[in-house]
Amino acid sequence: MYADTSTLPIAAVILWLGALFASATPWLNQLDPIAILSAFWTFNPDQYASVLAHHSWAPRVSIAMLIGCGLGLAGAVTQQILGNPLASPTTLGVEAGGQFGITVATLFAPGLLAFSPDLAAIGGGLLAIGLVIALTWRLGFSPVTVILAGLVITFFLGAMNMAFLLLKGEWLGNLYIWGAGSLVQNNWGPFMDLWPRVLVLAILMLLLMRPLQLLQLGQASASSLGARVGLIRVLALLLVVLMSTTVVSRVGVVAFVGLAAPVLARLLGARTLGSRLLWSTVMGGGLLLLADTLAHWASTWGDGSLVPTGTTTALIGGPVILLALQGIRNTHHMPGQESSPAGFQPKRRSPVMISGVIVTLLLATIVISMGWSPGLDDWNWTPITQWHEAWVWRGPRLLAATLAGVALGLAGTLIQRMTGNPMGSPEMLGISGGAALVMVMIVLSGLEVGRLGQLGAATLGAAAALGLLILLARKHRFAGNQLLLGGLALYVFMDAGLRLVMASGGTVAAQLLNWMYGSTWLTSESEAFGLMAFIVLICGFLCLVVRPLTLLPLGDTSASALGLPVAKARLLLLLVAAVLTASATVVIGPLSFVGLIAPHLARVLGQQTVGRQMIAAALVGGLLLAAADYLSRIVVYPGQLPAGLLAALVGGVYFLWGLSRHGRA
Amino acid sequence: MSAFFKVSSLGVHIGDAGILRNINLEFREGEVTALLGHNGSGKSTLLKVLARQLSPSSGEVSVLGTSFNSTGAREFARIVGYLPQHPPGTDGLTVRELVALGRYPWRGPLGRYNDEDHQLIDQAIDDTGLRYFQHRSVDTLSGGERQRAWIAMLLAQQTRCLLLDEPISALDVKHQVETLRLVHRLAEERELTVVVVLHDVDLAARFCDRLVALKTGELVADGSPREIMDSGILETIYGVPMGVMERAPGQWVSYVH
Repeated sequence: MYADTSTLPIAAVILWLGALFASATPWLNQLDPIAILSAFWTFNPDQYASVLAHHSWAPRVSIAMLIGCGLGLAGAVTQQILGNPLASPTTLGVEAGGQFGITVATLFAPGLLAFSPDLAAIGGGLLAIGLVIALTWRLGFSPVTVILAGLVITFFLGAMNMAFLLLKGEWLGNLYIWGAGSLVQNNWGPFMDLWPRVLVLAILMLLLMRPLQLLQLGQASASSLGARVGLIRVLALLLVVLMSTTVVSRVGVVAFVGLAAPVLARLLGARTLGSRLLWSTVMGGGLLLLADTLAHWASTWGDGSLVPTGTTTALIGGPVILLALQGIRNTHHMPGQESSPAGFQPKRRSPVMISGVIVTLLLATIVISMGWSPGLDDWNWTPITQWHEAWVWRGPRLLAATLAGVALGLAGTLIQRMTGNPMGSPEMLGISGGAALVMVMIVLSGLEVGRLGQLGAATLGAAAALGLLILLARKHRFAGNQLLLGGLALYVFMDAGLRLVMASGGTVAAQLLNWMYGSTWLTSESEAFGLMAFIVLICGFLCLVVRPLTLLPLGDTSASALGLPVAKARLLLLLVAAVLTASATVVIGPLSFVGLIAPHLARVLGQQTVGRQMIAAALVGGLLLAAADYLSRIVVYPGQLPAGLLAALVGGVYFLWGLSRHGRA
Repeated sequence: MSAFFKVSSLGVHIGDAGILRNINLEFREGEVTALLGHNGSGKSTLLKVLARQLSPSSGEVSVLGTSFNSTGAREFARIVGYLPQHPPGTDGLTVRELVALGRYPWRGPLGRYNDEDHQLIDQAIDDTGLRYFQHRSVDTLSGGERQRAWIAMLLAQQTRCLLLDEPISALDVKHQVETLRLVHRLAEERELTVVVVLHDVDLAARFCDRLVALKTGELVADGSPREIMDSGILETIYGVPMGVMERAPGQWVSYVH
């Protein structure tokens, strides 16, 4: 199960030397190797290259290593706290929180940024983790819940960032480059500023090592050994937050180092907690240096347009996660986790009543959306006799948004049931990401393909992502966590592409941004009706698979012992989920998170069995996006906000409310 | 013998369902007590309350005369060790590393392990017969060996009391008997107080000093094996007609009619 430990030091040395060498290559024809090495502490004032190396290259290399080490350690600690190989500061919402803090500070308190940049970021990070903790406090920080809450917070704060950007884009242009993590340095100041903080935080983390090790034994055993599990988790999380946001405030979001480094260390055979922490730190430094070098090269080749390091970390992070997919086998029972899921089971409620309420709300939304709207000078009702005239403007987009919501709700339920993981959703599986990546490439290449072409391309992208996923996951018989990891890798790739586009700026970025966050106003009547026919067809099919879906979460063994052809059933369901996702993505963009939220809302509303959950999730999804579409039309009238963005905001709030309310019960 | 645990008018409710109702019990020091009862009778819950894993809805529990609430987490862990019914996967820890974690209550987050600790760890490994496996990963062991590795961790914890939740459920007859014999021997040698949840009445009667039976959250029987191993009492505990034979002094065989 574990590789030979002796490969670790060798791999680390190769990584570091390779990265250092690659980083130094551009200087080789201007300076001799010794001068390059000495650039770290001195320079020759008569030689321009030497000055440049000392003030630009050397601090950049140093800061990359420092940050990489810090994030690697933080990632390893996070994984230990939550006993989940998917956990990282990114997954906990810390980085999104830091970014949010900076955004808010830029807009409303620029003075604070000038005073101390990390205060804003730490504030944001603490806000994010504080929300996560507040939501999961009463559930004893169970790992799954924490990650779930962290993810939702990430989405939520990300959506807030986007909303600010769309509304006040002119102020936040630079923030995008920053947001993508740029390590460009022009003196030693930031490094000197940063290293004592990172060092202190690292030492504090190491002091917590032994209590952290106990967490591996599960809550019951750890506390019966006298460890205060909650306290340890809070303390360690606080350190992780401080480490991540300190880094974020200096150089922006450098995602996935905190995820990739521990995974890599573990794959190469770091077994005990001590060695995992050590090697994650080392690997993190090497990885980030390598990524930064790649970013630097890419910037040089791409005629001067800046390629942020965050992009290349994502490019490296993807393959590492794919490696993890092959290496980490026993992820179904994660370490330190209770064998019985501490899933939340709110009181069951009558499906008829709940569906009735949601349908009523949906109808009300449709009526209001069709009728009640702001005019040039006043709000007014459109009488029902004139609806056929208003239809062209309001109908297709409303219909398409509702249907996309239904599709995402269904796809989300399918995926969560299938993987038995509450984090599963079309967004998390990278299916939306695949569709989005293709769209981004089309826009970047400047091709004019029209709406239909986009639709075809997005479907292709989703299918390709899914195909890759199936290929990767076939080895594991489509087991839940492997699937999620694979999807995460795809998502990482998409993220890299998107960061690149955002950082390049310009009109293209604005256009993409609108689509990404679901601008329903592009939908035509025929598309909307096409979508409707399609969804109805799929719904008919779904009635047939309710029972297999009930069986799958029981685990492969039980399901196949009960006579279900597990692999086949999974494949079929995956296909259905992908098709549903693709059709929704074209309309609403990849980032609405309805697919994550709707199935949960259905559960919070007391719909526990598969069939009921699917019905409720579909209705909730439809309601969410219908309401979001209406709001997107009126909030900044006569301007428009993307509906997907609003759905993420609205849905996020509801979801958090549901989670915390359950916590109290 | 003085009371190790004193449980008075204990009640546990989860939601509307009452899991335990009005339990009054004393667990005496140096005594091996078996908790009996059918599934869902509340035995595991009672054990969890004793292990402070679950706080009671009503009533009072004290250990060695002091109330539960006034004992610190590590202080408590030096007195009471608890083995959960389903220990989780250990993600690559070796047997020795797992057992070494049992020293945490004594050494805390930063204290160094000294010779005494290593000696105790060695002894715990020897006591459970795991010397040969000590450098193997716990996850690669068989069910019985894994169970023993966890028991070894509890032994290294050097507590005065062991709370074991079905410690022999995954074992074959030989290892069941060996584990119980080990527990019994240790209890005698070190004056340990042991509370163990068991399903097998005959084994419980053979190896325990006292049997306590619960039924739907209430205490139905409490006494020495000789008192409990009676067809009438067993019938009230399990709700099926049963008979008992005494094959030899202290060795009973119960059977279902």
